[in-house]
Amino acid sequence: MSTPTIAPTARQPGTATARKGAIELRQVRKTYGEVVAVDRLDLSIQPGEFVTLLGPSGSGKTTTMMMVAGFEEHTSGSVMIDGAPVDSLPPRERNLGVVFQNYALFPHMSARENVEFALRMRRVPKAESRRRADDALDRVGLAGLGGRKPRQLSGGQQQRVALARALVFNPAALLLDEPMAALDKRLREHMQEEIKALQKSLGISVLFVTHDQDEAMAMSDRIVVMKDGRIVQSGPPEEVYNHPVTDWVASFLGDTNLIPATVISREGGEAVVDLGGLGAGRVRDRGARGDKYAVSIRPEHLTFRVAPGRENSGTGELVSSTNLGATIRHRIMAGGRELQLRELSSNGGAAGQPAGATVHVGWDADKAQLLVLEG
Amino acid sequence: MAQATLARARPGAGGPPSGAPPKRRRRAGWLLLLAPVVVFDVLLFLTPLGKLIGSSFTGGAYARVLADPLVTRSLVNTLSIALTSTAVTVVLGYVIALVLWRSGTVMRVILFAVVLLPFWTGILVKNFAWAVLLQDNGLVNGFLHNIGLINAPLPLLHNRFAVIVGMVHCLLPYAVFPIFSSLAAIDGRLALAARSLGAREAAVFRRITLPLSAPGISAAGLLVFIISTGFFITPVVMGGPGDMMIANEIDYYARQLTDFPGAAALAVILTVLVSIIAAVYQRVLKAGGQHETL
Repeated sequence: MSTPTIAPTARQPGTATARKGAIELRQVRKTYGEVVAVDRLDLSIQPGEFVTLLGPSGSGKTTTMMMVAGFEEHTSGSVMIDGAPVDSLPPRERNLGVVFQNYALFPHMSARENVEFALRMRRVPKAESRRRADDALDRVGLAGLGGRKPRQLSGGQQQRVALARALVFNPAALLLDEPMAALDKRLREHMQEEIKALQKSLGISVLFVTHDQDEAMAMSDRIVVMKDGRIVQSGPPEEVYNHPVTDWVASFLGDTNLIPATVISREGGEAVVDLGGLGAGRVRDRGARGDKYAVSIRPEHLTFRVAPGRENSGTGELVSSTNLGATIRHRIMAGGRELQLRELSSNGGAAGQPAGATVHVGWDADKAQLLVLEG
Repeated sequence: MAQATLARARPGAGGPPSGAPPKRRRRAGWLLLLAPVVVFDVLLFLTPLGKLIGSSFTGGAYARVLADPLVTRSLVNTLSIALTSTAVTVVLGYVIALVLWRSGTVMRVILFAVVLLPFWTGILVKNFAWAVLLQDNGLVNGFLHNIGLINAPLPLLHNRFAVIVGMVHCLLPYAVFPIFSSLAAIDGRLALAARSLGAREAAVFRRITLPLSAPGISAAGLLVFIISTGFFITPVVMGGPGDMMIANEIDYYARQLTDFPGAAALAVILTVLVSIIAAVYQRVLKAGGQHETL
């Protein structure tokens, strides 16, 4: 069954994979006895798209990936790759490259043998498979290290081997399960950029699983936020970050000021709200419906003003200012609520103000988001 | 730097008069703790062993036993029976370990009990039980006769086959446990990775599971072989006259011939032979399977 992928070496980026790698999940559901791990999930990944499943542990993101890879069988629904259902196909026939959390490199094989494995399974002639493995190692920056055993490689190098191994057979798409979890912060940021660049040059679609929101923001074309086996929100990183639909999404992706709000009117993408002690507000409205509402303003979108405004503003007392290096975090008591304001240290701004001083703050209407308070 | 370390090292090595007593006393305390073991070992192991080796060199014992055709016969028997039962035990043990490894919690507990049961049963009991099963009018021959497969009973007892059956049964736990523990140490995601890369189950086994459990196999092989060279009861209960092993020969020299130097010489020969084989085995493994040891 395994189609021998002999013709295009992985050298030519983008060409062979032009219209390949569409993944679609339709009403996919997975239950373990009584427990629902993934609940009627609809998800579609376009060819060449980098989609991240982001959620806390237990949100069903890894289970979803395992179902796409074929390691877990879904209870109901359907998984399609390039338009064809793969529900009854074993993992080896799905033609997907998988990178595991701890890389799962074969410890008894050299880096090259690891990379060659998929080619050997596809009965690619020895000389060609060796050449392609070396090409793949070259592409991830490991030229000359093919003879090393995984334990002789650093964490970052091991991850590169895992990437080369998952890419060498020209898979339809790449599945990455928290691949950066074991790396230190600096290396992690470096690898994020490298993986992103590699993905772009190959034009391959990626399904990425992580609980790290910075990673999701940095790498994704689209973030799919999951909670309790369901998709809560899906969209480009900036949109999910700037316009979360619920308070849970807002606080899962970074810090935010959540101000309970009473909706007075909503029209044309804008809502007029009563923010209690902070007075009237005019904020972005993306049509989320619920019983209770709040307005979310990111700390960096809150700014100091010289005078009090009529709306989208507040006046209060500066509680504290903490220098975090690149930014300064101010805490302000205004309208009976503690607000967080973050500004660049280079701004200087109200940094000179002593604690206890009276300050005015405000925000732009399009930087504040009306969202549903989840209970 | 070197001087500093030297200077610091001196008090510990030479010991200033004031600091020495407590340190020396602590050391003496540790030695005192070792004393029971040392006394026990010297009295009950080293002394008899020394006496045995000493007596084996009296009265031309080696020349005498090596000239005995029964001795050479039993030595050859020992090696061939031990090697055969080791091979059978390791293969069977691997299969059992594999099933144990793959099965769920409940099944695993049951299987472990089944594997451990013979471990806790006396060897005599096990061998006589097999004798009951394998004798001419025993369960196995009876069953085969009843279903019409045979007319006359098969010779299942008092031969080489029976000895190996009896020994394998006793030896199995020694193979199952090392192999199982090396299987259990394999990261389950390796198999997933192999499958995602296009491997069928057979390829996963041959290229991932088998090579990664090789340390367990070699440990099991050595352990089982060493134990199997010392079998004494099984050849007596289940073997024929031609299946006597070296332990039976030692018994014969000691009790029938009351030739204690001869018996001692045989024991030394067995020990040396097994040690040589074990050393060669480990050397070969180290040379051939360097990549297996993690």
